[in-house]
Amino acid sequence: MTATAEPTPAETPVDERELLVDARGVKVHFPIKRGVILDKVIGHVYAVDGVDLQIRKGETYGLVGESGCGKSTLGKAILNLEPPTEGSVLVDGTDVASLKGAALRRRRKDFQMVFQDPMSSLDPRQSVESLLVEGMKAHGLATDAKATAKRLRELLAAVGLPAAALKKYPHEFSGGQRQRIGIARALAVEPKLIVADEPVSALDVSVQAQVINLLEELQDEFDLTYLVVAHDLAVVRHISDRIGVMYLGGLVEEASADDLYAQPLHPYTRALLSAVPLPDPAAEDAREQILLVGDLPSPSRPPSGCRFHTRCPWRQETRCDDERPQLRVVEVDGVPASHRVACHFAEEIARGEIQRHEVTATATVQDWRGEDEGDAIGPASVAEAEADARRTSSASSQVTPPGP
Amino acid sequence: MTATATTPSTNRHGDEPLLSVRDLRVTFTRQGEEPFTAVDGVSFDVRPGQTVGLVGESGCGKSVTSLAIMGLLPRRGNRVEGTATFDGTDLLRLGSSEMRDRRGRDIAMIFQDPLSSLNPVVPVGLQVTEVLERHRKMSRKAATPLARDLLKRVGIPDPDRRLKDYPHQMSGGMRQRALIAMALACAPRLLIADEPTTALDVTIQAQILSLLKELVQETGTALVMITHDLGVVAGLCDEVNVLYGGRIVERGGRHELFGQPRHPYTNGLLASIPRLDAERAPLTPIPGSVSDNLPWTSACAFAPRCSQPVDVCTQRTPQLEESGSRALRCFNPVGGPR
Repeated sequence: MTATAEPTPAETPVDERELLVDARGVKVHFPIKRGVILDKVIGHVYAVDGVDLQIRKGETYGLVGESGCGKSTLGKAILNLEPPTEGSVLVDGTDVASLKGAALRRRRKDFQMVFQDPMSSLDPRQSVESLLVEGMKAHGLATDAKATAKRLRELLAAVGLPAAALKKYPHEFSGGQRQRIGIARALAVEPKLIVADEPVSALDVSVQAQVINLLEELQDEFDLTYLVVAHDLAVVRHISDRIGVMYLGGLVEEASADDLYAQPLHPYTRALLSAVPLPDPAAEDAREQILLVGDLPSPSRPPSGCRFHTRCPWRQETRCDDERPQLRVVEVDGVPASHRVACHFAEEIARGEIQRHEVTATATVQDWRGEDEGDAIGPASVAEAEADARRTSSASSQVTPPGP
Repeated sequence: MTATATTPSTNRHGDEPLLSVRDLRVTFTRQGEEPFTAVDGVSFDVRPGQTVGLVGESGCGKSVTSLAIMGLLPRRGNRVEGTATFDGTDLLRLGSSEMRDRRGRDIAMIFQDPLSSLNPVVPVGLQVTEVLERHRKMSRKAATPLARDLLKRVGIPDPDRRLKDYPHQMSGGMRQRALIAMALACAPRLLIADEPTTALDVTIQAQILSLLKELVQETGTALVMITHDLGVVAGLCDEVNVLYGGRIVERGGRHELFGQPRHPYTNGLLASIPRLDAERAPLTPIPGSVSDNLPWTSACAFAPRCSQPVDVCTQRTPQLEESGSRALRCFNPVGGPR
């Protein structure tokens, strides 16, 4: 096993399996438009900005990050629900990004999505039966009535719902049951890959565990591959084999779930992990928190160099501000080659050669560049980005240059 | 700024409760429908400088409890019984104008979604000064520097400029800070925070929680923390009340409660959340959903979902039995009867 520039790890059994998803250099940029007639593009929201992502057959890949980091957009780009601006996405050998129309629709049988809010992702006027059959019909899987009925019963049994549920409508179910319907709908077309976008965050705590366990059981039963997008680190760690941490459109760290939590190498991952409240008072009192200052910068104007340098407590004078780090294997004892991190000083930080320093509030204000830019988590939509850009350009004369 | 987490103070509490809620019962009535009891005989005390948590899932009555204490429930369609004694006055018996005088001055509240609790067409600064004008009878001119200091104190950078911002120009974390600034404007003696960090990202949540901790320590404000997140409770609350179906099922200091949960519901909640600080272990979910309840009047509401029910659970109502600092409502507690 060598730690070369070739970023294909090969140690655990999972790592030796075939690649199901191979995304290279994926970029998704949303144009910010202005003007009524001309619709001039005045900027872009760099939602996903150059991500390489490989998912092997049968594994669960977890994408974590805060709102606005581009994790959901990346998930959609892999399904071509959001066509990538640049880059290629090979799913099972086919470049999904280049597919269009009927060819794309046919391929969609192989990759399905489970959404966050089961109430708004299920049509309230469709019965469960019609919700489940719709996809099967579209892909020509529901030709024989008898076989279809049998298949429906199997699906419901697989997700733990009674057969009587078929005739019911979404509003008759609780949140957890609705999410089960959403999962059954995804399973109906026998997909290979399921992208689950925040599958449990809308559910009650006691019900979350039911759905997490269900997802794990189904994976074993149907040999599924998951891409789980979530903000809850504990959930992601529990369910994933490998985890990618995203910050402002880029992956900053990638490792197996246990390695990542045992030894986080990127300053952002460290801060993120230290911010999660633990349900154990003794651990809460003892733990040292790395409090980050300020909010996520706007993805329409990402900071130069390392995207995290504006909030990084380990930032150095050299390199961090102007050179964007790439994911690389670090040479620290006990860190396997599958653990990659995008930080210039990961080794020094891991060995304790660089000490954490205060990020002063003033520096944050300057780095924000956004006294008038408003929403520092970044725009949620193109319309919002547009309004954002309008405000910024009108006040551009007041914008303070980034700190030294 | 990088800072280490501060531990909540447990020593500076007065003995006299600042707020004493007794037998609070909120019933929603609708024509042609059975009345629904959302909060069913809830009692708890909050002492100055103490942080008390109300924990539970959706529908357990934690938010309705806080709205009833604040007098913010709609005027029609509900019945509020019991007492909520704040400093010798029963808040539930106050008229609406008397209550308005107290709200914001003596008792303040922070809500979950800062965007919908701020007025979108009024600059944030004005919304902070408004509180000062109303309660301290200050002029706007005199109140503005105070408002700026408040924004600065809650960690909003460049407060002078931010005073003129509208809520939509701020990020979620900053809006929540602005809301906390408004709540603190009159140095209230009691602060009720209803899921203050649920809408926020985890790093921003850490900032807001450490701010709340600091405030409680510095000012001696009593804090009622309403949340579904056991992690938030573990780090912040001195005393924790676990609610289920409108009633308190277990109460205890945070160390006791998390170290040795006695009610199967508390125990089940702790077993069903994935842990970051331990080895990965299979999760044990609580079966069913929060709507699978029995009526408290004739049984234990949690019995259908309970991991260890006994016959009596579906036949009689368990009482909340207090012993020392702990209280428990269960016939067959985890770890056997004491």
